[in-house]
Parts: sequence; structure tokens; C-alpha cells
Amino acid sequence: MAVSKSFLGPNDKITTSQAAIFLNNAMLGAGILTLPRSVSESVKTPDSWISVLVGGLIAILVVVLMLKLSLRFPGKTVFQYTSAVIGRYPGMIWCLILVFYYIVIAGFEIRAMAEVTMYYLLEGTPIWAITIPFIWLGAYLVIGGIDAIARVSQIVFPISLCILILSYLLSLRLFELDNLRPILGDGLGPVIHGLKSTVLVYSGCEVVMTLTAQLENPKQALKAVLTGVGIPIGLYLFTVIMVIGGVSVDSAVTSTWPTIDLVRSFEVTGFLFERFEFLLMVIWLMQMFCNYSCFFYNSSLGLSQLFKLPYKAVIFALVPVIFLVTMIPQNMNELFGLGDAIGYLSILLFLLFPVFLSLLALMRFGGGGGARHEKS
Amino acid sequence: MRSLKAASILFMALSLLTLPGCWSSNEIEDLAIYSGVAIDEGDLSEVERGLEEKGGSYSKQNKITATVQIVPLKAGTKDEVKGKTSPYTNISGAGDSLLEIFRQFSLRLNKPIIGHHLKIIVISSQLLKERNIKQVADFMLRDNDIRPNVKIFVSQGEAMQILTTKLPDEVPSFFINDIVKNQFRSSKIMDPVQMTNLDALMYSKQSFILQTIVQAKRQLAFSGAGIIKGETGKWIGHLTEEDVECINWLTNASSSGIIKANNEEGDSIAYEVKGMKTRIRVHTEQDGRLIFQVRVESKGRISEDWSVEGNPSLSSYQKEAEKLFEQKLSMMMDHLLASMQDRYKVDVAKFCEIVRIQKPQLWKKVKSNWDETFSESTVNLDIHVNVTDYGSTTK
Repeated sequence: MAVSKSFLGPNDKITTSQAAIFLNNAMLGAGILTLPRSVSESVKTPDSWISVLVGGLIAILVVVLMLKLSLRFPGKTVFQYTSAVIGRYPGMIWCLILVFYYIVIAGFEIRAMAEVTMYYLLEGTPIWAITIPFIWLGAYLVIGGIDAIARVSQIVFPISLCILILSYLLSLRLFELDNLRPILGDGLGPVIHGLKSTVLVYSGCEVVMTLTAQLENPKQALKAVLTGVGIPIGLYLFTVIMVIGGVSVDSAVTSTWPTIDLVRSFEVTGFLFERFEFLLMVIWLMQMFCNYSCFFYNSSLGLSQLFKLPYKAVIFALVPVIFLVTMIPQNMNELFGLGDAIGYLSILLFLLFPVFLSLLALMRFGGGGGARHEKS
Repeated sequence: MRSLKAASILFMALSLLTLPGCWSSNEIEDLAIYSGVAIDEGDLSEVERGLEEKGGSYSKQNKITATVQIVPLKAGTKDEVKGKTSPYTNISGAGDSLLEIFRQFSLRLNKPIIGHHLKIIVISSQLLKERNIKQVADFMLRDNDIRPNVKIFVSQGEAMQILTTKLPDEVPSFFINDIVKNQFRSSKIMDPVQMTNLDALMYSKQSFILQTIVQAKRQLAFSGAGIIKGETGKWIGHLTEEDVECINWLTNASSSGIIKANNEEGDSIAYEVKGMKTRIRVHTEQDGRLIFQVRVESKGRISEDWSVEGNPSLSSYQKEAEKLFEQKLSMMMDHLLASMQDRYKVDVAKFCEIVRIQKPQLWKKVKSNWDETFSESTVNLDIHVNVTDYGSTTK
């Protein structure tokens, strides 16, 4: 096949806007469907949205930190520079944890997507019939490298964004401001308590550490990541406000998929689609697919760079591994448990790891590498 | 080489013909779509009794009877079907699990029943007297076919009778579903309680009301509401139509309806509400009791006046009429408050929301026994009715 020559594999570059969309898609996945419940469970007051906002600000700080760290090593991904900072073997272990994390989160996304699909759309279809095509398709996309994923994201994201916003706007008929009052009635306590579940929904932003190496124009990196993080923060905030305002905290807590339930709570008679949840779910499947592809890409890139293995071979080798991860949770509770575990692992990788690396890098290499100020 | 490529493309194209498709698709003609469900106390229907005599039974206790209303897909043209067949079929079964009863219908129907288009659920108040609504509604809340916007009602008398009401060419469940839309004409129709709301209400253990449907001579009507006590989930009493109207006005759920008063001579004078706005403030007294300051402001027109002498265009006459309406309205409100605070000792007019929003710290303390706290609190009414016009005749 002549086409394969034009595939540059892991060495291709992406533009600033592609980077922003790539980062955005790494964060926007199944989380949006359960976010209002998970946040409300820990916040217990209508202040969840503040929690989401504060969590978002933390995410921005962390992402900027990761970016600054990565910019010290131009053209190198986290898998390549970690060893340089903390030594070969410890670096290897760190990176393996990171790869493991990406594999698990990829499997989790696929499984969550399959569960929603099986429950609401394709009752009776076996789970493998839903997951395997997605995993294969993802493999095909990932072979194309970051550029291909970014291009697909560029096509998918505007569509899913439109449908999501449209669904929310239609749900305005249920919206009651009183459901969101009082603001800070119990003080800041619940908001801080809720942070642990909001930080979870921002997991995925770790891809910045590989993304930066592939930027066509690293000078605009800050702009790219800020946009990339900003969009999910905005959407999450909007989601929580609409769901809590539409169905109240009590209902959001008791619903397994509150965002879908919000859209299921009304019918638009006489409109092109009476029932928007089907449209939303079908479209959101594409979004989850992009999301999963980001993680698949990162895990295969990591393995191939760590062990100097051929990129394509790693992808095919990972296909069964991801399928196995997908099948690990035996039921819904285990699935949500896995989601929480990913969240905790992400706090480790996403907060401690970059801080630790930055400090070490600062100590070992001083201010070299472009960014002098590391106190972000 | 080229032929090999062509062959492989052909093979792939052909395999496309067999590969796509919907795994678990069901033709809509092969499904029995149900639009209404009625839940009653467990009683065997005649059909079931007959079936049981012939051994048609399974291990169960007859705790509830569920009736589903199936809307057949009309095969012929509309005129063909009209008059010949009833536009719906009802089927009942008794048992102690709603899902089991529904699955049992598969033994008695030639098509599987499917709940995607369920519109209303009617539960008999008799059943709710003994059974927590959570038990009765649990299946509907969990099921993936049934949508969270299904409306829930209670019935005086048997719920299945509501669904068998004889209406020419109308399916009772759709009929009831449409009555709700008349709220702009009468505030005796409350905002329907939907599955989503029910879920939240049961979770927070608040007391609430469900619109009551009554029927006589095979005609049905919305009439007042049944009170469900939050702690027990059981039906504890009935609120009259005017009580429901007042609740709608107090919670700003609706600003329609009329207020009819009688003047000294006993002649009727009717006021059509054009706007109604309620503001409630809550204060605490030193002994910890709550005081609610309720300010109701209304605008509207005199739409009917039976008094022969009266002249609604005179502002002095309007002032008098306003006073009459204010008296009537406060009488209605007092009736509601007496029902809530003295008779049933529950809060179903969302006073809890006022406390939750205005005094969040206090709310945390009183939340667990809110109904009692509310019953002991004072509600001060401040009612202002403002007649703005008098219709198209001056005299």
C-alpha cells in the first residue's frame, strides 16, 4: 500500500488549534454523564458548580505546570524526558505507571460507553459486539498518529458540542433557579469536600506531557492548553448547572446517569426529534470514541518510546490488553469503582508527579530550557 | 495483481450487505405499546380467577394488581377501525412484583409489551394507604424503557376504572395526559409530579401531593390531590380542589384560575386571575418557632358580576369587590393551612424550600422533622387583590 508511506506515525506534528481540541477531547468523555451525581454525592448542597469551577482552576494550574515542565525538553515526550530527570530505572517505573494508567482509562471509557449503549440503545446486544468494533476502529485511528486523531476530533467535537448544548437549551423548560439556591448556604466546607470528585473528571489532562512534544509551534503552547482545558471546564460547569437546576440535587444523586436522565425528563413534541436522549447518546458515542483514542494513542506511544519498539506493533499488541481491561469490571459498581480508582491514580500522576519532576528538573538543570520561572 | 485487488474490494463490499444491521431490533408492529399503567390493591380479576381455576398460576402473593393500557397499532385506515374496535386494550394481573406481573403478560399476549411510550401511572389511594409509594414505583424508576417524564396520579376508588373510562375514540391515558395542559385555564390542576420528581421527593423524604383523579358514570375528572407523607410514603389524606389551587398560587406554580366571591345579597361575582405573585419570608421567634410572612399579590379583571345594581367600572365598586376577593382568598388559604398544619400535619406547599433557601443553617436542624416544625409555625397572610379592568361592558 502506497498510503502507508505518508503516515509519519508518532513523529507527526499538530497545529495549535488541533492541540487544543486534542486536549479537550482527552478530558471530555463518559465523565459528563455521571458528573452531576458524583459531585452532588460529595457536596450534598446545590454548590456543586462552585466545586467544578474550583476543580477546574486547579486543573489549569496543574496543566500549566506540566506544560512548563515539558517545554524544558523540546521535542521530547514525558516518556523520553523522565529518565533524564530522575534516572533511568525510576524513570522507567514512573512511565510504566503512566502507561498502565492510560491503558486502564482507555478500557474504562470503552466499558462506560458500552454500558450506556447497552442500557439505553442496544438492549440485548452482547457487550463484545459493542466494544470490539470500537477498539479496532480506535487502533486504526491511532496508527495514523496524533495528527489523525486530532483531525477526527476536529470533525467530531463541533457536532457533539452542538447537540449537547441544544439538549441543554431544550431542558431549560425544566430549569428552576431555586434548585440552585442557596449559594454557599453551608459555607465553603461542602465545596472543598466535593473537590476530590471534581478533580476526577479533569483526569485526562496528563496528555499535555506528550502533546507538547508534537506541537508545530511550541510558542503558542500555553494558548493551546488553556483553550483545551477551558472548554471542558465550561462544559462541565454548564452541565452541572443545567442538571441540578433542572432536576434538583436530590434527583441527581439518585440517578445513575443524571445527564441522560435530564434529557429523558422532557419530550419535544412536534420537533424533528421528540426524544433527544437518543440523539445525544449516539453523538456522544463519537466523543467517547475520540476520548478513548487519545488514551490509546498515549499508551502505545509510551510503550514504543520506552522500549524502542515499533509503534504499529505496540498498537496491535495493546488491542487485546484494552479489551481485557474493558471486561474487568463485573458489574456497574465495579465499573464506578474503577472510575474512582482511576481518579485517585490520576491525582498521583496529575498532581504529585509533575510537581516532583519540576522540582527535580529545577534542581538538576537549573533554569535552562526556556522557562525560568517554575513557580506556577 | 489488479484483479486480486478488485476481488478483495468486491468481497468487502458484499460482506457489507450481511454485516450491518441492528442486533436486537424489534419491529414496531410486533410490539404492544402501553401508554398507561394503573396499580391497585391485589385482587384477582375475573379472567385471572378463571385462569387459576384451570391451573394458570405461579408462586406469588396477590399484593398488587397492575393494569396496562395497550394502544394497538391500527392496521387499517382510520375510518375502517373507527367504531368497530375500542381504541385500547386493558390487561390486568395480580402479584407481588410489578416486573413479574409484566413478564407474566407475555404468557397472555401475542406481543411483548414495551414501555417507551408510557405517559401516565395511576395508583389507587387505597393501595397507598397500606403500601409505601417507593415499593410501588420502584420498578418504574429503574426500568430503562420507561422515561422519567411519566406523570403520576392517584385515584379515588379503583385505579383501573380510571383507565377503562368510556370515552369515544379516546385512549384514557392520552386523555389524562392532555388534561394537564389545561393548567392555563384552571389552577386546580397542579404541576404533574413526574418520575424524576418522585425520585427526588422519596429520597429527601419530603411530604408531597399527587393529583387525584375521580370517576363517575365512566367520566373522569381531576379533583384535588392526595397527600403522601414523606416518612412513610403512604397516602394520608385528601386536599380539596381549592386547596390545590391555593398551593399552586403559594408556590407560584400557576397564576391562572378564578376567584368567585359572593356579595352581601348573595350574588356571585367572579374575578379572573391575570397575575398572581407570592413572596414568602421566614423569621424565627425567640422560642425557636418559625414565622412565615406570606405576601400574595394579584392582578385580574371582574369577568362576571351577578349583582343587578353594581357597576364594576366605578373604582369605589372595584375597591369593594377587591375586598370581597381578598376575603375569599384568605378564607381559601386558611382552609389550606388548617388542613396542612392541624389536620394532616404536613407541609406540601413547599414552605421547606423557603427555609432551605433563606435559612440554610436552620434548615439543617429542622430537616429531619420538618413536618412537625412546620405544623407548629405561624403563617401570616397578607393578601392584595387588584382589579385592573372589567371586561367589555361597563355596567
